[in-house]
Amino acid sequence: MMELLASLENSGFGTWLRESPSIWAYPAVLTLHTIGLGVFVGGNAVLDLRLLGWGRAIPLAPLEKLFPVMWIGFWVNAVSGLALFVGDATTKGTTWVFMTKLGIIVVGVVLLFALKRTVYGQSNAGVVETPTSRALAAASLALWFLAIVTGRYMAYV
Amino acid sequence: MNETLDLFAAWLRGTSISEAIRVAPWLWPLCEILHFFGLSLLIGIAGFFDLRLLGFMKRVPISAAWTLMPWAKFGFGLAALTGVTFFIGAPDQYIDNPAFYGKVFFLIVANLNAVYFEALYRRQVEARALDGGGPIAVKVIAVVSIVSWFFVIYWGRMLPFIGNAF
Repeated sequence: MMELLASLENSGFGTWLRESPSIWAYPAVLTLHTIGLGVFVGGNAVLDLRLLGWGRAIPLAPLEKLFPVMWIGFWVNAVSGLALFVGDATTKGTTWVFMTKLGIIVVGVVLLFALKRTVYGQSNAGVVETPTSRALAAASLALWFLAIVTGRYMAYV
Repeated sequence: MNETLDLFAAWLRGTSISEAIRVAPWLWPLCEILHFFGLSLLIGIAGFFDLRLLGFMKRVPISAAWTLMPWAKFGFGLAALTGVTFFIGAPDQYIDNPAFYGKVFFLIVANLNAVYFEALYRRQVEARALDGGGPIAVKVIAVVSIVSWFFVIYWGRMLPFIGNAF
């Protein structure tokens, strides 16, 4: 495992990302990761806040269009996150903080699919709000904020 | 000019509040976390409103979209408060840093743009209920908002790379 992490870290790409003085290497990838975070967690927050009772005048049906926007943010972060991991694989791949962050993301994605199915997936009933959708919204908001907590904490390990 | 700024930074760094921010072992990471919470609330909700102004999600009344704006303002407040904490704690990292001035410039643009919209266009646009239209100026405002917040993040991220801030 350690050998694999080391070979990732010392690969051409890993070395370039870590050591290149170019503004297009590490700084650009980190910027993309931050933009993706804002788009994904922010878009998610709009839907969650609405489901939790803020902005009730906003009809839920058109908010389904937020999902493609959120997925763009998600994939920008998946790809930029993978790049950041490769550049620092032996540290990130061996710390519990990173594993916790990955776990939070996996649970968060599962909950987001469940949330979408609960609110938008009822073929006959149209868009529905239930105690379940509210609970999923609260859990989703909390989990993505926890993903930020662990992500930020990684700067200190 | 630079000397005056450096003197100011040195004075600020010497104050007891600046030292307290640097010495507390948990405060800086906590502020970083809150800074990013604020960032995502602001980008998500302001971005949602900007997209609506640009004609996306037309079935959402603009007046309804606006009702989430207190959360964007709360996010901005959180980011601003923690940002000021960083500046007071380590003013020397920012005072000679070109990225800091890039960030401040776009913060000013983004905020003036938002204030301008709220003062001159908000009620007019809200009155147009569902048609999704609006003066072209409003679409320009939405684009300026998205672009300037993007550059706030960009220059914020550049702080440690162009200058020396952590």
